[in-house]
Amino acid sequence: MKVVGVAVLMAVLLAGCLALGQPKYIVLSDIAWAPFEWVSEKGAYLGFDLDVMRAIAILEGFEIELRDTPFDSIIPAIIAGRGDIGASGFTITEERALVINFSEAYWDSNQAVVVRAGSGLDLDMVASPGRLVGAQRGTTGSFWIEDEWVPLGVTLVEYETYPEAILDLLAGRIDGIVQDVDPSKMAVLQYKGQIEIAGVVDTGEQFGFLVAKDDPKELLPRIHRGVATLKDLGVWDLLIEAYFGPSLGAIESAWEKCIDILLVDRDPLRYAQCLTAELRP
Amino acid sequence: MDLSVWTEVAPHVPVLLRGLLVNIQLLLGLISLGLVVGVVTALIEVYAPRPVGIVAGAYTWFFRGVPEIVLLFLFYFGLSQFGVPVSAFFAAVLALGLRSSAYQAQIFRGAFQSIPHGQMMAARALGLGRLRAIVHVVLPQALRLSLAGWSNEFSSVLKDTTLAWGIGVVEIMRQASYIRARNFTLTLPIYVTVALMFLVLTYVGNLAIGLAERKLRVPGLEGQR
Repeated sequence: MKVVGVAVLMAVLLAGCLALGQPKYIVLSDIAWAPFEWVSEKGAYLGFDLDVMRAIAILEGFEIELRDTPFDSIIPAIIAGRGDIGASGFTITEERALVINFSEAYWDSNQAVVVRAGSGLDLDMVASPGRLVGAQRGTTGSFWIEDEWVPLGVTLVEYETYPEAILDLLAGRIDGIVQDVDPSKMAVLQYKGQIEIAGVVDTGEQFGFLVAKDDPKELLPRIHRGVATLKDLGVWDLLIEAYFGPSLGAIESAWEKCIDILLVDRDPLRYAQCLTAELRP
Repeated sequence: MDLSVWTEVAPHVPVLLRGLLVNIQLLLGLISLGLVVGVVTALIEVYAPRPVGIVAGAYTWFFRGVPEIVLLFLFYFGLSQFGVPVSAFFAAVLALGLRSSAYQAQIFRGAFQSIPHGQMMAARALGLGRLRAIVHVVLPQALRLSLAGWSNEFSSVLKDTTLAWGIGVVEIMRQASYIRARNFTLTLPIYVTVALMFLVLTYVGNLAIGLAERKLRVPGLEGQR
């Protein structure tokens, strides 16, 4: 027992020493947006963005600390020097690019329009005069409605969070909600038979990671190299397969089984393979 | 709302309670900060020379006049601009505590002023210094009189702690949003649960303050109001 204890202690010390030599960066994310980032039943932080960040850190030799931060506060926090990287499904916009720097796009995401099931509404009917359409405040969905649909006579109703908008949709107070495709699919899965996707608006929007203006810590080259390596290794596609499709509960139990391969063995490829193997029927 | 929904909520209750514990920690921090700063501010407003009194007045004016969420942002993002890297938790205690001190100062000021001036004169005539007269004669009575108003402030700041999630403190509202993010259908039941938890907490808290009030009551003192 004692020998094991000493060995564990040595291992911890060794890992500590190794970690000590590496710079540590704070990654900010609004960890309430499955499947990009969310908190599991047991309180663990997981999701596509977060695993990608963890893998990049391993490949590029730095440590990260994930810090949960409300979406609207992430950019101000990075400007104020309270965090180094923003990884929270940020749409690349010119407005945001004025105050922070984006990485190259890593994700294409269009906007889905969700309506009550059986309402018979299609895209054109939602985008017509007198309709009330909801969106999460500060997101591309709300900007889209403001710019494209309000001139057509649509009224924009904004919500702090996406689930609140769905409650209002179910209550019949709004006719539709504009939100990114993947969270929308997740919502339709959870509210089976109550809501459906009326159509997808091709906004051509893309997600990027973000860092402080002019990248003073030179993180962008490392992020780009990390993403490229993940794609070359095939990790990227495996993570997409794991995170986009299966139910959240299934992903959580697979993640729990495999995550040590990433965090302890520090092997992104074997981790991603484990994850998809667990999730395949 | 379906009854079966509550069986789905049950497993999440421990997580919510863990969040609530953070709210209670915030409360303890901010209310003690507010108590100390509030009593001192009230003493200054009532007894200090006029120029100092004006400064204290400006202090309460500022902290009563700025919305709480703005104060939170000012303290969290503002302090780090000056090279003071406060944690989100500490920034929340500071912002909400100083805000509460401004309100508590008003409660205590009213109580100080309700102690008849004759008592001060009598204490001075007996040879007590001004400071000792305040500490031994005015303060013990005034603090007792403040308890009723103070219980109001307690209920109010307890609920204010839920604003702290705006700067990233993982308290009960944040835990609720985690649960909601993976179970959309539980949105309403989770908030009903949070509401119930706060109802119990305010009830227990006010009960304790009421007991303290009765315990500390001095017969005859109430008549002086």
